[in-house]
Amino acid sequence: MPAVSDRGKPLLGRAASGPPAALATLLLVIWALTGAGYFWPMWAWFGLGLPLSLVAASRWVRRLPEARNRGLVTQVVACFAVLVVADVLIWIMSGAGYFWPVWPALVLVMLLGLWRVFVRPREHQLEVRVDELTRTRAGVVDVQAAELRRIERDLHDGAQARLVALSMQIGRAEERLAGKGADPADLELLRQARREATAAISELRDLARGISPPVLADRGLQAAVQSLADRSGPNVKFHGELEQRPPPALENAAYFVAAEALTNAIKHAPGVQVQITIWHEHSQLGVVVADGGPGGADPAGSGLTGLRKRVEALDGWFEVASPAGGGTTIRATLPSE
Amino acid sequence: MSPAPVNPMHPEPVRVVIVEDHALLREGLVALLSENGIDVVATAEDGPGLLRIVAGHKPDLAICDVRLPPTFTDEGIKAAIEARSRQPSLALLVLSQYVEPAYSEELLASGESGVGYMLKERVSEVRTFVDAVRRVAAGGTALDREVVSSLVRERHRGGQGTTIDSLTPRERETLELIAQGRTNAAIARELVVSLGAVEKHISNIFGKLDLPATDDDHRRVLAVLAYLRAAG
Repeated sequence: MPAVSDRGKPLLGRAASGPPAALATLLLVIWALTGAGYFWPMWAWFGLGLPLSLVAASRWVRRLPEARNRGLVTQVVACFAVLVVADVLIWIMSGAGYFWPVWPALVLVMLLGLWRVFVRPREHQLEVRVDELTRTRAGVVDVQAAELRRIERDLHDGAQARLVALSMQIGRAEERLAGKGADPADLELLRQARREATAAISELRDLARGISPPVLADRGLQAAVQSLADRSGPNVKFHGELEQRPPPALENAAYFVAAEALTNAIKHAPGVQVQITIWHEHSQLGVVVADGGPGGADPAGSGLTGLRKRVEALDGWFEVASPAGGGTTIRATLPSE
Repeated sequence: MSPAPVNPMHPEPVRVVIVEDHALLREGLVALLSENGIDVVATAEDGPGLLRIVAGHKPDLAICDVRLPPTFTDEGIKAAIEARSRQPSLALLVLSQYVEPAYSEELLASGESGVGYMLKERVSEVRTFVDAVRRVAAGGTALDREVVSSLVRERHRGGQGTTIDSLTPRERETLELIAQGRTNAAIARELVVSLGAVEKHISNIFGKLDLPATDDDHRRVLAVLAYLRAAG
């Protein structure tokens, strides 16, 4: 990508153009001192100038605005143009006889034409396809994240709430019957029913937490990971300041990376220091979980593979560094645009 | 049910407002509390509603849900803390379908008056729940056992050799019940032991953890919670 700050700078720096210029001047002096006959330094100048022109052409292309730049193709066209000019120069320097440069120019133009007719349409199709896939995949991932949160909300407001109401009604019935001196066996039945309802509520809560932890939906990634660290004891430290909430899909992925990595660290090295860091800058969301445990984690293990897939589905980058005896560091970086 | 016992700290019936957006639960709570001699003076469905009815009725206690309209995130916690900053004597009992340690910290830090934070399904254990409502209204504490056990677990995980490891299993159970805000009598009932045995456990715990002995239930809870929440 052309960096904006490049614009306005010379295409060739002094380091690139200095030595050839000095050499050209030296040759001119030698030519003058040796009697100023046939002006041979022009051939040396031409030899020195050609590579410099090619480099300059390629740099010029790189600085073009994105809309006018087709990458490699534009570079090739620019180099062809330089070569045609070079042919014309050779033709002039060698006495300007029969205008042969027309033939190499014709060949170059034909090559470009062939590319335009046969290669370009296919390339164009692929570009369109890649754009489309990138867009639709991002769409699917966003929809999926939103859907998971909706399921969690629906469970919360639907089945869970109804079960709570049910268990409350059973509890009230139990109290009323107990007050009227009911048969203990009848009361025991109600107690069992209430316990069943409570167990169902508890199972639904665990299920909802696994789908999308409530605090993540309610307060965002930073609060959720903070809460994760707080719940894991004083050896787990969290560092991270997010100025705004990333999209749900990224929040989910980053949260599960932190949660899974933390669970692993505590499982394999109880009591060890763990540092969780989250950052969000330059359109990237990063999570790093580093522990001082024994290391030697298997990056191909099912837990880590699952995380890698989750991160890669978002075009992210996932890395596990776990040398034996050197602790384990898990990093995930997710593009947030 | 026997006639509603009158709390000695509140010669008049406890006056409560309820904020819950789910109609079935709201009606159920109103019925349950009324049946147990607790006076539900108003109900609302969202955060602004809570502030309005607290201002209008000056209740002893506000019982509220965490997720409320319009965003269904944590406005219940925010509204409850706001209501208390306007009326510092207001006791809060937050009921939720999940417990989040961060929310319990915020509630405990929000003032001196009574605080409760419990899972909604605890409502079905009617007698325990009504006890908790009265306790919180009287300035006490009622934390869900899930909140307490996560605090204890956290303390416990701090590594080997922490003072909490020196407690016997029975003493740790007692510690958790104290942190939930239970009275000695309630602890004795729960553990099916005599009142004397509970008192002995408690004096052992306070000795081992080097906490100042106190007869005041509320201060005792605060001492235990402060111990559990202290970092390291």
